[in-house]
Amino acid sequence: MKQSKISHRIPSKVSPELLRQAKEFGFSDRQLAHIWGTSEKIVRGMRKQHGVVPVYKTVDTCAAEFEAHTPYHYSTYERENESKRSERKKVIILGGGPNRIGQGIEFDYCCVHGVYALDEEGIETMMINCNPETVSTDYDTTDKLYFEPLTLEDVLNICEHEQPFGVIVSFGGQTPLKIAKALEENGVRILGTSPEGIDLAEDRERFGALLRKLNIPHPKYGTAYSVNNAVLVAEQISFPVLVRPSYVLGGRAMEICYNGDAVREYMKKAVDVSPDYPVLIDRFLEDAFEYDVDCVSDGKDVVIGGVMEHIEEAGIHSGDSACVLPPFMISQKNLDEIIGYTVKLAKALKVVGLMNVQFAMKDGVVYVLEVNPRASRTVPFVSKATGLPLAKIAAKVMVGKTLEELGLKGYDFRKVKHISVKEAVFPFNKFPRVPVFLGPEMRSTGEVMGISENFGAAVAKAQMGAGNTLPVEGRVFISVNESDKTEFTLGIARDLVGLGFSLVATEGTQSFLNQSGVECGHVFKVNEGRPNVVDMVKNGEIQLIINTPLGENSRYDEFAIGRSALENKVSFITTLSAAATAVKGIAKQKEGTLGIRSVQEYLKNIDT
Amino acid sequence: MPKRTDIKSILIIGSGPIVIGQACEFDYSGTQACQVLREEGYRIILINSNPATIMTDPELADATYIEPITPEMVEEIIKKERPDVILPTMGGQTALNIAVALAERGVLAKYGVELIGAKLEAIKKAEDRELFKEAMDRIGLHSARGGFVNTLDEAVKMTEEVGFPIIIRPSFTLGGTGGGTAYNIEEFREKVLHGLTSSPIQQVLIEESVIGWKEFELEVMRDLKDNVVIICSIENFDPMGVHTGDSITVAPAQTLTDKEYQAMRDAAKKIIREIGVETGGSNIQFAVNPSDGRMIVIEMNPRVSRSSALASKATGFPIAKIAAKLAVGYTLDEIPNDITKLTPASFEPTIDYCVVKIPRWDFEKFKGVDDTLGVQMKSVGEAMAIGRTFKESFQKALRSLEQGRFGLGADGKDELDVRAMNDVERKEWRRRVLDRLKIPKPGNIFYLRYAFQLGCSIEELFKVTKIDPWFLHNIWQIVELEEELYSYRV
Repeated sequence: MKQSKISHRIPSKVSPELLRQAKEFGFSDRQLAHIWGTSEKIVRGMRKQHGVVPVYKTVDTCAAEFEAHTPYHYSTYERENESKRSERKKVIILGGGPNRIGQGIEFDYCCVHGVYALDEEGIETMMINCNPETVSTDYDTTDKLYFEPLTLEDVLNICEHEQPFGVIVSFGGQTPLKIAKALEENGVRILGTSPEGIDLAEDRERFGALLRKLNIPHPKYGTAYSVNNAVLVAEQISFPVLVRPSYVLGGRAMEICYNGDAVREYMKKAVDVSPDYPVLIDRFLEDAFEYDVDCVSDGKDVVIGGVMEHIEEAGIHSGDSACVLPPFMISQKNLDEIIGYTVKLAKALKVVGLMNVQFAMKDGVVYVLEVNPRASRTVPFVSKATGLPLAKIAAKVMVGKTLEELGLKGYDFRKVKHISVKEAVFPFNKFPRVPVFLGPEMRSTGEVMGISENFGAAVAKAQMGAGNTLPVEGRVFISVNESDKTEFTLGIARDLVGLGFSLVATEGTQSFLNQSGVECGHVFKVNEGRPNVVDMVKNGEIQLIINTPLGENSRYDEFAIGRSALENKVSFITTLSAAATAVKGIAKQKEGTLGIRSVQEYLKNIDT
Repeated sequence: MPKRTDIKSILIIGSGPIVIGQACEFDYSGTQACQVLREEGYRIILINSNPATIMTDPELADATYIEPITPEMVEEIIKKERPDVILPTMGGQTALNIAVALAERGVLAKYGVELIGAKLEAIKKAEDRELFKEAMDRIGLHSARGGFVNTLDEAVKMTEEVGFPIIIRPSFTLGGTGGGTAYNIEEFREKVLHGLTSSPIQQVLIEESVIGWKEFELEVMRDLKDNVVIICSIENFDPMGVHTGDSITVAPAQTLTDKEYQAMRDAAKKIIREIGVETGGSNIQFAVNPSDGRMIVIEMNPRVSRSSALASKATGFPIAKIAAKLAVGYTLDEIPNDITKLTPASFEPTIDYCVVKIPRWDFEKFKGVDDTLGVQMKSVGEAMAIGRTFKESFQKALRSLEQGRFGLGADGKDELDVRAMNDVERKEWRRRVLDRLKIPKPGNIFYLRYAFQLGCSIEELFKVTKIDPWFLHNIWQIVELEEELYSYRV
């Protein structure tokens, strides 16, 4: 879908009355521009010329019968403005808008913390957001709340009325970032990392050049403009590759392709590739370990909040992967590299505020996958795990405080010794016909955290919190694909037997285990005969399922097993790394109580 | 009544991870409860497994447990912290279910912990649909025909009495998980079986379908002196059959006559008293038959709910905060309204504007998903907008959703360009659009615009969608104005 050339013609015959009526009916400038075949800018100009500008009314619980003290406002097209501008220095924080998969409560957390921090600095805080479920839209949270859409038009209107010192766009996820550049072009000061810096991190070519300049490794990548070209590019990069459209319409997912045919297939069914909307191809680092880092920079110094290690291997969206802080399997050299690269990147991108970096490590080499110079999904998790209020620190830095002034120069994230595990929570129980395997497209709606002094206990708690309590006895069904028939899988199977579980598997996996000396019973696949694995799940004869995806051929089986597991609330694990982690959790759970401790107690331990 | 001085510490249970049907509204309510009760000088103990929440910030409680919300874990916390009371009404269904489990296991008795906000009996009366039905009968209010079953056989027997279409609702599930509507016996069997597996107690409610009826909600609060206030009325734009969480909702209610509204208010007061929610907020849902005005009670949530968050934001009345204060003994007349400072919380809010909430779905992330909207909630978020009229708020809410839309179409993103169609195409599309509107789906709202552009009448669209003619009329007005605006195109 190409956008036609924007015209700048002026619909001069439109009367001020009609324009006002359109606004009273809720038409946006964007709609009017489309209807009249002109640009949003022209419509805005026309409105202002005719004095058709919004006023702000107060939500006062009493239809103006009594005087209201709490500034909670909405715009409308009438005459009297009830929102009085103060003389204080003010900062507007743009919220995250409606929750969606990939942009949830984490960003509201960051916005609210931003408000708290600026309040401490004596700045008048204002929030713009349109999500009624959130703390940020509680009129108590900020000095002023504008319950308004987060579009350029609505935000600019408020900025023109309030004349803020600046606007924070990096706490509310993608939503405010989308309009950051346009706000800046309209004379609004963007606090923190400049839109230019954000852009640099998002532009593949420019960012790639920067990484090469900084001598930081990254997976090979390319851009394809046609189906044939895509295969060629993929071959140059070498397989496997991660393919995704540059222009996402209707959520066409990214996919991992292992050969040219798969790329061709993907291009055919998933994408309308064209010179305007190319397809992005990256080398996929199979079996790599992934890490996330959240940090704050003031442009001079960088404070690392924490390094997280993903439990699932590369290829699973970071939002869907469980992760652990501090990392549990990393060499000192790699950790130092991760920190070094993070600091280099923060400085090169002139980051002022939060930054998140995703890394992959394969064969001892650390690669940078992605940099986001803004609040990330993991900021609240890191803050809870370490007690370091990253979003608050970032907000203060954005209004001019230095990390040194905040007493954070030299902060060492390594002093946190207890272990925090984050686990994602999925809505599969609501969608009966949807496959339950994880992939590069994020599908989780929420997350839980498990904390303990011990890795296994933290894992067990995270699983329990996610509604996936691990069993301590019974039978485990194992089904792994060809490439997973490895020593690693055998280790998991042996550990489970050692913990007192019995194993069953369908033919392929069973013979693999038996040949390696691991005792394992046989069970039919769904179509092979009865009783089959689904019967066993339904009868409560299986307590844990470890099933790595086998591809198209056994989709029916996996689907049936996945659904029956969900319906019968049997733990279902789809990656080997998660299975290995679960084994540790089970072992800890068998020892008895997992123990409880308050966050305040954990934090006291860090400081003493 | 002043606040209770016999209690020193309060355990608040959060709602855990964000899932469909239980989102960050409970962070909002839990955060408010922590703040206000701490200000009152109580020691606050909190459990919530969700680290992304504000309420789990270490500053908000005296002891914050980021631990799994299971009865066992909560018992350990009780054992260690020895709270005097538990406030289970801020953490959605999760918290209520835990409270019930703790009571039934004898944990509360063992440690001498009291439930505040809602007593066990009230929770059970509101949540157990059988007890709820009996309660409604006692106070002379109607509820839908049907009953509870534990097996498929019992369910099949009941179909005769109830008649198709039939609604199947599993007991004790979140956001109606595992529920559905059946139009024939085959579908009925399948859905009952699914419902029985989804329900933790293997029970489903088989109920007369009130699909197409108008749906309303009232947010009600009550204190220990038996004062009752109605905070807000909410009307569902989408008729019965679409879960409230998946429905466009409007506050205040727009299409009730004063007589109908008063009858609903009276019913709400009777219900909260009969169920016995002594302190705090409840949400009560009603259905009204558009053809004869018959009103029935659908259900009641004896706790702060998604709708309470919406009602709080829509009116400025902080329901969770007031509910927390009521739970520790204050009465409505003793609590000042934060906004006016002059009026007490016993003044019912008045609103001179219109609020519209529109859900947001993310179906494109789930290959093979059925995107039909029904009694099981499927949306992942929502946007709300405030304006002087329904039309203004409605278009603002549409552009708040951030799905690339800037109002009711006319934004360059329309799937159909009716203006470019010839007569033959128009005739064909008129049929197709009407067909599509028969089944509730995301995006239908834009199809209402196409329908009007294609010359459909309000009556015709009401017949197909059962959306109240008042709403349809408003949408028609938007489409009409768009036509006029279009004539000025340069």
